[in-house]
Amino acid sequence: MEVKIENLENKTMVVLSGRLDTTNADKFQQDIAPLMQGDAPDIEIDCTDMEYTSSQGLRMFLMLQKSVTARKGSLVMRNMKPNVKEVFDITGFSNIIRII
Amino acid sequence: MEYELDLHCQMILDEYRENLAIFEKMKEIVRAQLEKCVADNNIYVTAIESRIKTENSLAGKLELKGHKYKTLSDITDILGTRVITFYSEEVDKISALIDKVFEVDWENSVDKRKALDLDQFGYMSLHYICRIPKSLCYDAEHPEINDFRFEIQMRTALQHVWATMYHDTGYKSGIEMPKEHLRNMNRLAGMLELADEQFSRIRKEITDYRRNVQSLVTDGNFDEVPLDSDTFRSYLTMKPFKKLIDKIATINQAEIYEDNLMRYLATLIKMNFRTLGDLHRLIKECSEDAYKLALHQLSSTDLDILALSVALQNLCLVYIIKKGGGEVGLRMFYDAVFGQSAYNEERAHRTFEQISKINIK
Repeated sequence: MEVKIENLENKTMVVLSGRLDTTNADKFQQDIAPLMQGDAPDIEIDCTDMEYTSSQGLRMFLMLQKSVTARKGSLVMRNMKPNVKEVFDITGFSNIIRII
Repeated sequence: MEYELDLHCQMILDEYRENLAIFEKMKEIVRAQLEKCVADNNIYVTAIESRIKTENSLAGKLELKGHKYKTLSDITDILGTRVITFYSEEVDKISALIDKVFEVDWENSVDKRKALDLDQFGYMSLHYICRIPKSLCYDAEHPEINDFRFEIQMRTALQHVWATMYHDTGYKSGIEMPKEHLRNMNRLAGMLELADEQFSRIRKEITDYRRNVQSLVTDGNFDEVPLDSDTFRSYLTMKPFKKLIDKIATINQAEIYEDNLMRYLATLIKMNFRTLGDLHRLIKECSEDAYKLALHQLSSTDLDILALSVALQNLCLVYIIKKGGGEVGLRMFYDAVFGQSAYNEERAHRTFEQISKINIK
């Protein structure tokens, strides 16, 4: 799993690629740690090249969503592959995180 | 700045200058106490304002009626505080709390609401003249803190609007104002008094409604309870989807994240659920199939975290198919829940395929 974070003028852009599962969840948590700081963050995650997410990945996204909500910010995930979207749908996570 | 004051008034003004720091300290104490009072008693106010009379304003007052005062402590509005409430009942509540916290000088306090005759409309506000009791704050070096009086005005937001607009006319009393304008101002006061009464009545009716709904929900009289935000919220406190989500969670021994189901309310209303009874029947009649759908979706995965909303989502999905809504109905559901998007067509198609594979009763 590769994580690229770019701070733009009015939002933080995150680009994910590869598989997110138990083997790399800890590293992913470290990678997204900077996103857990700052006021009213506006975060957009581009999932074009994300192949898969496991439950561990969902837990990380939930943690990020909670953190962003607590800081009155927003989180959007975009361009998910159908199989990744299905994971979000069947676990109910599409109800928690905004997917466009 | 020098003013055209006689010696007596000049002495009062000097006394004011010497005691400004005391009034500043009093202002902080009074404000903190008022804020604590409203917070401790869960009263929401629109504002708590306080000000110390400016030197210019005091000089003006002394020029006009300085002979009325022997010393500075005879002037009771050097420190003025105002509590502006939403509802008229809260003026009474706050006044009772102020009576407990401060020493009220009843002789000089006035209820302007009662000062008006039955056929009069105009300035409505409750003015208390108070002192800070020693039990609240005592400073041996500055005993004046407990000697100087201050004023607290209490009124509703609408009474405040009227008083502010009246003040803006530049007339200090109704006597000075041309009769025609005075009549118009007083007509507005009457209208705002009625509006205050109506707002209080509406609030009471809403409170009664919520109490009634709560008791109907608790008693299980769901068919008598219309589906709205209050009733749905009450219903959710009974955890109606727990049994289903717990069963779904056993598929992969999943952890359940309790997300907020209120976002489903608008969709449920769109789906023609009118009462909590309708929802209750949805759970009773569709839970088995909603579980089967989850089993079909999750059993081949190792996903072990679920949102509570999966239970309600699956209930709605199988309900739509049972009612003959087909793929179009599923698409409309997804549009309502997630907002319109091209992906919803794919979602609906996939869900339709999945539901087709399970034997829905």
